[in-house]
Amino acid sequence: MASFDHKNLTIKKFHDGLLKRDFSALEIAKGFFKEISEKDSEIGAYLSLDEEGALRQAKAVDDLVANGEPTGALAGVPLAIKDNILIKGQPATAASKILENYVASYDAGVIQKLKTEQVVFIGKTNMDEFAMGSSTENSAFKVTKNPHDLERVPGGSSGGSAAAVAADLALGALGSDTGGSIREPASFCGVVGLKPTYGAVSRSGLIAMASSLDQIGPLTKTVGDAALLFNAIRGRDPLDATSSEPLASENYENRLLNPDFEKIKGMTVGIPEEYFIDGLDKEVENSVRLAMKTMESFGVKFKKTSLPHTKYALSCYYIINYAEVSSNLARFDGIRYGSRVKGQGSSLKDIYFKTRGEGFGSESKRRIILGTFVLSSGYYDAYYKKAQQVRRLIKNDFDNAFEEVDVIMTPVAPGPAFKIGEKTADPLTMYLEDIFTIPVNLAGLPAVSIPVREKKEGLPVGFQLIGKPWHEPDILGLGQYYEKTTAPELY
Amino acid sequence: MSDSSISKKTLEHLAELSRIKLEEKEEEKLLADLSKILGHFDELKSLNTSGVEPMNGGTEFKNSFREDEERTNTNQGAGADAFPESEDGFLKVPPVFE
Repeated sequence: MASFDHKNLTIKKFHDGLLKRDFSALEIAKGFFKEISEKDSEIGAYLSLDEEGALRQAKAVDDLVANGEPTGALAGVPLAIKDNILIKGQPATAASKILENYVASYDAGVIQKLKTEQVVFIGKTNMDEFAMGSSTENSAFKVTKNPHDLERVPGGSSGGSAAAVAADLALGALGSDTGGSIREPASFCGVVGLKPTYGAVSRSGLIAMASSLDQIGPLTKTVGDAALLFNAIRGRDPLDATSSEPLASENYENRLLNPDFEKIKGMTVGIPEEYFIDGLDKEVENSVRLAMKTMESFGVKFKKTSLPHTKYALSCYYIINYAEVSSNLARFDGIRYGSRVKGQGSSLKDIYFKTRGEGFGSESKRRIILGTFVLSSGYYDAYYKKAQQVRRLIKNDFDNAFEEVDVIMTPVAPGPAFKIGEKTADPLTMYLEDIFTIPVNLAGLPAVSIPVREKKEGLPVGFQLIGKPWHEPDILGLGQYYEKTTAPELY
Repeated sequence: MSDSSISKKTLEHLAELSRIKLEEKEEEKLLADLSKILGHFDELKSLNTSGVEPMNGGTEFKNSFREDEERTNTNQGAGADAFPESEDGFLKVPPVFE
């Protein structure tokens, strides 16, 4: 396996190398499991592995290649899957004690699609319990470390997926993003993370946290890879009534996979003043401005814009999130699946109280109880309805801004990766990590986090490109052109 | 928006509704956290939203219908493996009425 270079291997390069027979899918898969056995005890990206299934699938792809049969762009690609996405026969714990022994009985919509593409599933990745958190410290099982600095968090909640890609323990990964859970860890770990337009990707088989905000998306080393993986998982799924084919002009797929760079590099990008605030870390601000400078040099026009309701987004988001969490997590009652804890009385009610009291972590309990509060009679109008109205105002802000710009560019998080334990004492401090990513979920927009490639030293920092609904080709196209300019070795 | 702090009694009521057994120590921490978080939410009070149509989902889709046709379910009974307790393939639960 002499020519196996983990560091610069991308999905695209893997596919090319596979067809040229530079290596076999089996060799690469084995290489990844070797890396995992050497490095993951330190990093803690994975909760479970499926080496047997992965090697079997890799071998099957090699047989196809040997027989000269057509192989898709993702065939044999070793991927890591966040543990709230179901793969039939594999554990799916959502990093919660309440699902500690749960084994999925069906495939998520995205997994069905990826199986058709003959992807190799390496294993399931660590996360904040039920995707509630921004650091992966809320996992019931372990803390994942940031591969760039083991004393720091990888971000969250898709921290295991981001760390796996960053540490070369997978070629790409799936995460889920409810308020920044793909983009923030991508920024902290120096990888690319896409949160698609709401409805672009099926949520069937995603363990629901906040259904009006959740979306599955890819974490990869390059923007080009993110486009490939996103294209494979998107589309209408009859099992998710909110999923849809792109509500966009024609040639969506072609524009996604073969961007028209001549057109894209002259786009107008809006810079919202509300995102460059006092609390923003200087290193982050300077890094984002470096990326802007590069884009300006190849023709992007920058324009100041305003999203005036941004400061209300955090409160609006958490009220809606809590409400949906309290409804969605009601299903974990110890009756049909998951752990069942019996009390002294072992009546039905005892089982509910004991199972949920012992099975949920503190953040889950906090959100369920507050969700129950904001939905209760007497408080509904003041909290939940009010938040839904503010959500409309936030969406209107974006609609207005997009009248004048093609794409909006912002930082991803107020700072780079923080130290483990630094923000666990106070939930509000942790929530503030998501102030730049939350508005996108409220408005249902697509957004991608891309590492600032000009920054060569210190911790990684990402910038965010936000697109109009169903305009993934715009943000991924601009991102790719930026990457080809700043990191040509990745292509 | 009324009082933004939660009393111990309200918390216990909410925990009852949520079917969650809380330990004494958890209650203390929760009470402090909840008051702080609800205090933060108070910022919404200052925003005038009268006449604003609530946005009640992630999408503007109205209804998503499918054709009413026969479908074959290929995954029937698959969840039975996951039952915490079962007897002869049936889910076992304690008496519902006490």
